[in-house]
Amino acid sequence: MQTGTKISAVAHGLLLSWAFLGGAFRSDPLPYEVQDVTMISSEEFDRIAGHSATPEAVTTLSEPQPAPEPIAEPVVEPRPDPVSESVPPKARPEPTPPPPPPAPEIAALVPEPPSPPQRAVERIAPEPVAPPPPEARPDPVEREQVTPEANADTPQEAQDATAPEEAAAEIVTEAEETAVLAPTRSPRPAARPARRPPPAPETAPASETETATDTATETAAKTEDAVTAALTEAMAGAREATPAAPAAPSGPPMSAGEKEALRVAVSSCWNVGSLSSDALATTVVVAVSLSQDGKPQGETIRMASHSGGSEASAKQAFEAARRAIIRCGAKGFDLPVAKYDHWRNIEMTFNPERMRIK
Amino acid sequence: MTRFLLCFLLGWAFVAHSAAAQDGGPLRIEITEGVIEPMPFAVPDFVPDSPAATEVAGQIARVIAADLAGTGLFREIPVEAHIGRVSDFNAPIQFADWKAINAQALVTGAVSSSGDRVTVRFRVWDVFSGAELGNGLQFAGSRDGWRRMAHKVADAVYSRITGEGGYFDSRVVFVSESGPKNDRKKRLAIMDYDGANVQYLTDSASIVLAPRFSPSGDRVLYTSFETGFPRIYVLDVGKVQRRVLESKEGTMSFAPRFAPDGQTVVFSLEQGGNTDIYIMDITSGATTRLTSSPSIDTAPSYSPDGSRIVFESDRSGTQQLYIMSASGGEAKRISFGQGRYGTPVWSPRGDLVAFTKQNKGRFHIGVMRTDGSEERLLTASFLDEGPTWAPNGRVIMFARETKGARGESTLYSVDITGRNLRSVRTPGGASDPSWSPLQN
Repeated sequence: MQTGTKISAVAHGLLLSWAFLGGAFRSDPLPYEVQDVTMISSEEFDRIAGHSATPEAVTTLSEPQPAPEPIAEPVVEPRPDPVSESVPPKARPEPTPPPPPPAPEIAALVPEPPSPPQRAVERIAPEPVAPPPPEARPDPVEREQVTPEANADTPQEAQDATAPEEAAAEIVTEAEETAVLAPTRSPRPAARPARRPPPAPETAPASETETATDTATETAAKTEDAVTAALTEAMAGAREATPAAPAAPSGPPMSAGEKEALRVAVSSCWNVGSLSSDALATTVVVAVSLSQDGKPQGETIRMASHSGGSEASAKQAFEAARRAIIRCGAKGFDLPVAKYDHWRNIEMTFNPERMRIK
Repeated sequence: MTRFLLCFLLGWAFVAHSAAAQDGGPLRIEITEGVIEPMPFAVPDFVPDSPAATEVAGQIARVIAADLAGTGLFREIPVEAHIGRVSDFNAPIQFADWKAINAQALVTGAVSSSGDRVTVRFRVWDVFSGAELGNGLQFAGSRDGWRRMAHKVADAVYSRITGEGGYFDSRVVFVSESGPKNDRKKRLAIMDYDGANVQYLTDSASIVLAPRFSPSGDRVLYTSFETGFPRIYVLDVGKVQRRVLESKEGTMSFAPRFAPDGQTVVFSLEQGGNTDIYIMDITSGATTRLTSSPSIDTAPSYSPDGSRIVFESDRSGTQQLYIMSASGGEAKRISFGQGRYGTPVWSPRGDLVAFTKQNKGRFHIGVMRTDGSEERLLTASFLDEGPTWAPNGRVIMFARETKGARGESTLYSVDITGRNLRSVRTPGGASDPSWSPLQN
């Protein structure tokens, strides 16, 4: 054995020495002449240094950048909103911001002009007169469409004259249409009617401040007018708004995490240690209503249904479930108030299947 | 790409569906995980209506609390921790006081006494829902029987909270042991389930074994070596009178147990080296042979409906459990685990069989379903044997013997879940317990 190991050791030593000395591990690829890159002169280096200096100035440029941001402040837009709430006539400018619905109609009539620039013109509108001429260009396109319809010779001119007027009138009507459509399609009007009562008194003092010496009857009349105007608007938009209104729970639904938190909270108080084996085989569904602070209302706790056991065992299981809800809900379950409509009424299924033998 | 689209559509459909499910109706959640812990309860001293009832009122409340706490399902909040005081049985309960100490159940009561007559009234309250569990109840009895009245109240409370019958108003007959292992004196004794009121039924002149209560609890079967051979006796517990059951000369009869009808006794009889199971009509003495195998068949126990019998047999080579019809016939083996199984006892509920198991040098008390499934070992020690069921089928009592020449046998009880293993207080050693049904 020793001779064998010696031979093996010698052979391995030879093999390794050959491998190192013979270059078996030298897998170096052919050396490329990269030296050309290193031959940079001092002038070039200076140039590079000069370029590098300019990017430093970018920091100064970056400072003015925040300036354009305030310019594009969207805060300006919300201003019309409160005004429109208090005073109905100013509600018309409000609808102007949301013109997306009419956009397709414009596209159908006038394919050329992009809708966004038109909006911008409308807002800044009053002073610049230049924008209208470009709008006139699409008019000849309409003339072509109109002329084939009218076969008579003389009436053609009269129609040509009317056509540009209609185009201009359409822009105005679009604004009017948006005014009508905006409240109907936006979900907000549906929610606001419910909260109307509180804001109503707010409008009254506002009107009083405007007309400091006016009598109470006048203010009341104004508020009535405002209310009626608002009602008419709401009624006008009710056709489309009503289908959205009946969706009882408002706001986003409960997330899985929020449900899980509630489940864990109740589980921690659900003590099945004192239940009979029959009651441990009974699944009960317990319905409960919660107040807005997350506390269960004791009188609303009832057994909605049960399965898997007798009436007596279901009663025991229900009592254990009731104890769990009341005990852990004594300080109020941690639930998002904004989603109260979703968790006002809860049905909890207490299934002790996994608790039978532990 | 199509897969991506499909996944997207499915996901969108799921979200839409769940959102739609949210729209109408209440929020639904399912709770499958709870906690298993003793329910905290409070038993303030019962209100006495006269100074004469003050002592017994306090004693009754303490026994009720001890009964409930002894089950392991409840935890008593000591009286010292009580904030509220109950001074009038009919006054409304101040639940806030009891919520503050986290008492979930509250037992209030009053005791009135007139001469030797004692009356106990009580109510059970669910503190957190502020509702009474069941209606108020009243027991009346002699002053000496105050412990039984307390047990009855505890049974009612237990039943109202857990939904199953109690077992407090019951008794246990057992073999009282004294002396070292090589010279042990044995005699029959009877006591309340909690170890109180011990009475001896026989003297210690001869060895007695395996006492068994009748279904009505008024008689006890047991085996005695009074004549040198094991014979079966029937003892009337009330009168402490006994008589021997007829048996053939030269045979040994043992391991008797009543049938549910109380008129038939099933037992083992050894004749010519072969042990088989017989039944006997207790009044006429007529016997019927149920098994006829060449093996040792013993330890029979009836099902609660009296239709079947579970017993142990070594017909397969090792000691195993079998079930056969009450009229005999082919037996079906139900135990298939490792080790040896013996002394099967059918649960009063009929769903489980308790047994003693010997495996790898250790003894266990266990339960299994009547088809042999869901075997569960509840204890493990040097020597555990002789399980007996509480009247409600929820608790098992058995004898545990410690190692060594000076080892002593004591009684233990354990819940069928394996929790709440407790020693039962007895004077001296004790073995072979048999639990009575609930007393009337």
